[in-house]
Amino acid sequence: MEKFVDRLIGEFESGQLGRREFCTTLATAAAVFASGLEANAAPAGKGFKMLGLNHLSYQCPDYTKARDFYASMFGMQVTNDKGKGRANLAFGPEPGKGGNFLVVHNPGANPPKPSEAVIDHIAYTISNYDEGKVRAALKARGYDNPTGRDGSRHVYDPFDYDVQFASAAQENAFRREGR
Amino acid sequence: MEAFFATKLDEFAQGKLSRRGLLEALTVAATTAYAAAPANAAAAPDPALKVALCNHISYNCHDFRKGADWYSKVFNLDQVAPSKIDVALPFGKRGEKPFGVTANDVPLTHLIIRSRDLNAPAEGGAPRRKSRAIMEHIGYTVADFDREKAKADLKAMGVENVRDGGLYSLHMTDAYGYDVQISGVANNALTDGA
Repeated sequence: MEKFVDRLIGEFESGQLGRREFCTTLATAAAVFASGLEANAAPAGKGFKMLGLNHLSYQCPDYTKARDFYASMFGMQVTNDKGKGRANLAFGPEPGKGGNFLVVHNPGANPPKPSEAVIDHIAYTISNYDEGKVRAALKARGYDNPTGRDGSRHVYDPFDYDVQFASAAQENAFRREGR
Repeated sequence: MEAFFATKLDEFAQGKLSRRGLLEALTVAATTAYAAAPANAAAAPDPALKVALCNHISYNCHDFRKGADWYSKVFNLDQVAPSKIDVALPFGKRGEKPFGVTANDVPLTHLIIRSRDLNAPAEGGAPRRKSRAIMEHIGYTVADFDREKAKADLKAMGVENVRDGGLYSLHMTDAYGYDVQISGVANNALTDGA
């Protein structure tokens, strides 16, 4: 923690970090420090104990368009946007306590190494999913005919990336066993 | 907590507190103030499309069994409901709730590892659009993350291209060369890129 605080002070001194951002970041780090103490114990066997998704790293031609889309459409909270080509979009539980985030960013100087696999879409859970309200909310944003089925819909984001959102009843790993 | 940080920062800026004094005051406060405090409940009204958690990650590769076996090995994930073209790997056991989630209608996040033709029409018959964006890596949170120990464990498992990532994490490549990151809870929406 001391190293982290030291680095933050350095960033504050050099003007990289504003006063407000400094305080918010440190307050969060303190909360995370506390929650880390209660993290679940890892299993005795090989491999790691997965607690969950941490983040999705999304590269696109203009991160501001993606940021605005995911924030306004899905209620994600913008954090760490310094106007330097990337922003985080938090959703779910609090950061550091199970929350996920989407990092939207412009292409960097070093392009990612080519992979033989592709993440062709991401699905998000909506709690208290109500098909009527979902359809109305989509229509208000210009999505008159989303694909998919009741309880599980797909739309394309501003860069034609496939985004799915669903209820727990329709999209659940264990429910697939009944197919 | 933030007010205390702001006060100390002001004292430092005005020369009333040395840099060392600031560092000590903030470190002590940050590591002790939450010790007995319950977590604050963040309760905002949910609009119809407000996302509660990631539901699944749809991962497409040449041989889904090979892809799934890598994730099962590295993250101790069970494989459920296999079909001829895909299998699901939930991040926990049946009946468990996702880490940090209290709602009853938010299922465990899972990977769906598939082998399918992405040039074939999508559900509903419409051709798939060619995306101008990519999900260029995925980060996962693991329990008791210790970078040096994790590095040794990964190498012992034969995982390739293991390397440091920022302050709190490691990167590696999976069975298909896809970039995978792991970290503890310290890497989150407020600390990543801060």
